[in-house]
Amino acid sequence: MRLPALTSVSPQGRRESASAPPGGSKKPRGGPSVFLARIWLVVVLAIVVHLAWLLIGGRLQLDTDVLAMLPQDERQPAVQQATRALADAASRRVVVLVGGRDWDSARRAADAYAASIAPAPVELRYRVGDEAAGQWLGFFEPYRGQLLTAAQRRQLETAAPAQLAQAAVEQLYRPMAMPRIGSWAADPLNLFAGWLSERAADSRVRVTEGRLSITEGERHYALLMLELKDSGFSMSAQQALIPQLERAREAALQAAPGLDVFNVGVPLHAAAAANQAEREVHTIGAGSLLGIIVLTLFAFKAIRPRLLVTLSIAIGLAAAVSVSSLLFERLHMITLVFGASLVGVAENYGSNYFSSRSGRPFSERFAMLAEQGPVMWLAMLTTAIGYALLALTPFPGLRQIAVFSVVGLLAAFVTTLWWFPFLDRGEMPLTAFSRWLGSRRALWPALGRNRFTLLFALVVAGVLAGGALRLQANDDIRMLQNSPPALIVQQRAVSALLDLPSPAQFYLVRGASEEEVLQREEALKARLVPLGVQAQAVSDWLPSQVAQVRDAALLASVNAAVLDEARPLLGEAIPAPGLRAFKPLLPADWLASATSEPLRHQWLGPFEQGHASVVLLRGVNDLARLPGLAALAASLPGVQWVDKVGEVSAVMARTRQLMAGVIAASYLLVFAALSWRFGARAWRALVPTLLASALALALLGLFGQPLQLFNVLALLLILGMGVDYGIFLLEQPGRAALRPFLSVSLAAVSTLLAFGLLALSATPALRAFGLTMLLGIALAWLLTPLFLPAEKH
Amino acid sequence: MRAWLLSLALFFLASAHAVPDLSQAVRERLQQVPVLRGEFEQQKQVQGFAKPLVSRGSFVVARERGVLWQTRTPFASQLRLTRDEIVATQNGAVAFRLDAGKEPAVRVINSLMFALLNGDLSGLAEHFKIEGTTEGKGWALQLTPRQAALAKLMSRVELGGDQHVRSIRIDEANGDKTVIRFSAQSSEPAKLTVDEAARFD
Repeated sequence: MRLPALTSVSPQGRRESASAPPGGSKKPRGGPSVFLARIWLVVVLAIVVHLAWLLIGGRLQLDTDVLAMLPQDERQPAVQQATRALADAASRRVVVLVGGRDWDSARRAADAYAASIAPAPVELRYRVGDEAAGQWLGFFEPYRGQLLTAAQRRQLETAAPAQLAQAAVEQLYRPMAMPRIGSWAADPLNLFAGWLSERAADSRVRVTEGRLSITEGERHYALLMLELKDSGFSMSAQQALIPQLERAREAALQAAPGLDVFNVGVPLHAAAAANQAEREVHTIGAGSLLGIIVLTLFAFKAIRPRLLVTLSIAIGLAAAVSVSSLLFERLHMITLVFGASLVGVAENYGSNYFSSRSGRPFSERFAMLAEQGPVMWLAMLTTAIGYALLALTPFPGLRQIAVFSVVGLLAAFVTTLWWFPFLDRGEMPLTAFSRWLGSRRALWPALGRNRFTLLFALVVAGVLAGGALRLQANDDIRMLQNSPPALIVQQRAVSALLDLPSPAQFYLVRGASEEEVLQREEALKARLVPLGVQAQAVSDWLPSQVAQVRDAALLASVNAAVLDEARPLLGEAIPAPGLRAFKPLLPADWLASATSEPLRHQWLGPFEQGHASVVLLRGVNDLARLPGLAALAASLPGVQWVDKVGEVSAVMARTRQLMAGVIAASYLLVFAALSWRFGARAWRALVPTLLASALALALLGLFGQPLQLFNVLALLLILGMGVDYGIFLLEQPGRAALRPFLSVSLAAVSTLLAFGLLALSATPALRAFGLTMLLGIALAWLLTPLFLPAEKH
Repeated sequence: MRAWLLSLALFFLASAHAVPDLSQAVRERLQQVPVLRGEFEQQKQVQGFAKPLVSRGSFVVARERGVLWQTRTPFASQLRLTRDEIVATQNGAVAFRLDAGKEPAVRVINSLMFALLNGDLSGLAEHFKIEGTTEGKGWALQLTPRQAALAKLMSRVELGGDQHVRSIRIDEANGDKTVIRFSAQSSEPAKLTVDEAARFD
């Protein structure tokens, strides 16, 4: 749905409606024809069938992650792919810690938890057999002659053999030494145990009595890891898991009261977000629907107009979902919320139809439509302009919103234009309430050379100046996250206990081959050591083959020298151990073994034309260090620094600026469209909206709200709707004209109910959006009558 | 990574299976003191070595601080086990260090070492099945690990003594055998001397 398509339709529509018969002919010749109505019926039926297929089959995929909606970083698809891969691994996992003062009760409670969660569709990792440890040792043992930690390598390279021999002998005399694997002569410095111990130190998770466990000071925790079997994006699976986790938690607490039970994981946040959104959509939806129905009843004393307007909106939404799901893999929740905002815009057409209809005979409806048609087309066009420009931006996220909105808007509009005259029945007298509301228009003074204008200008200038001073842009993505505090507390506790590396910043390492990736990881780690930054990389476990060969040679020569020095110290004729044949540890072997499980998600494998991995960092709490870490990547080939939080925030800022440009362009195009119809008066329809938008931003500034993408997105909708008010009023600018102001006021109240309630949302993005809409629409409605031409007496 | 722990592995274990009579009898004989110091002679038979490795030195066990193991011959070195770390030093330089923050097993190793040197039966009962006999003022205990994890390190431990632990024999799972004999044990003064306290820091 692009702008050209709309413009090609528009003249035709205008011609048709213009040629409609003036009187109340029964069978319309031009205008809305039975033929068009039938065609539209076929289209609507197709949409309904498609929608039913989507919904009943559960094929509609929803995305709840705010980050997923944000424009992808168009310059770096590889980074996106890496980020997505890391996020996907996390999105299915729930980590549970059960703990207290003693291990016994923690174990008892965790066993109860495990038993309770067993029927759920999750894979549980908790009990670990003795053989697992054996496998672990067994896997690396054949390669022990070629595995060294960085510190060991430094020690072997720098220390004299005599010194090393002394250390080896000292270890031998220690009453409690690091357990030795194999004979002393094969590894006198016990380097293999040291290597394994450094690997073990990567994780704080241990095995106690065949169970995963963590000890922190005096507290003991049992660890359970749950992985959703379904795709983590299935919201139903995520939501179904929550009560099961809750039951398991209760079972654990029953087994051992008073323990801590922490549940954390992306599925919990997603489910919480979805639940909250659902709750809000329900209350907000129900509230606004009730208000709108009451209002329509008052205004038209009939239920039919409301039903028909609802029908047009429903068809609009159905068409939007149907077409968007054809064009996009997943629909985002924010798109749907925007979709809900269509209710407000589409409302304008229906309201206008019935406001124009009320008080006229039933038979005049085609004539009325012929008269209103061009205005409605213009109103529709001005709104579509904004969305169409949005669709032209290079951001997929915004495109989805644009496609969704344009399709929905067009479908609602077509329904109003082609179906309403046929579905509409009976007389619709102008009710007392409609008369009263319509006549309120007369209360507005006209701007001109008067004291009111001066006062108005002063107030506006004051608010704008004050707002401009206070308004600050803030695109920090963290502002948009709103998980329940209880979840965040648990998340912090668990992160601290597990000492996990941060997923927000990492290095992406790429190479032509697996070996090159590993070598580049090693080069990177060598540069990180002097900075005191702890890295977690695949090459810790799986050294490059170059490193393996080099370490094997180093180890063999040092061991021989140490044995030579140690013999006289010990007074023993220890035979040198037989040399083992070198057998490289290969990526495929490591990946296939259970030992790779904790780090497997960091190995991205075949990636673009080569291979790639992710190197995570631990303990970088000082944000001031990030630029230094970023700079490091520049000097290393194939290494890229990824700061997801910083990057997303930067993309948010760029999008916001781009949106500002889109809005400016929209104003120009809308002005051109208005000039085409209203000539020199066109500014009267546009300036109120422009002023309303500026004042809305200024007020946000005065309220201390930061300026961010979602405020700016709202401005586009304010343009679309506000200008409609201007068009409808300017079409019949007389102070005595009831219908235009009735139509505009009904539309405004509906929109305000829908978005005003959104301003109460607990989701920050929706709140920012709703608040801006609330202010902008209210102001646009309030200001538009002021700018109508003063009547000549 | 979680797995290797088994080899480091001395873990928090099932509730003590009491052997009330024996432990009562041993407790009546053993002196539980805040600070114990003395001399040791350690003989370690390592697999593949013809002769046992003999070392001599002194030790300090302090309930509040941990264990100091000071070897004098055949060369000077020191092992210090405290709540938070295990540190081996030789010629004043650190030869080995293991941090409890990184490796939780440190706490268990240290409590075990403390229990062995001090004859702390309730501490030992956490980790071992205890059998034994008493005779006059003396007693002898045979300890078998309760946990598979610990059994992978030590197959059997024997303790003997009177009001103090006089000997320890550890049979390691890899075939190494260590016998330690203690002499000149004393619990006076009941507080660490300034010099001893300094060596713990």
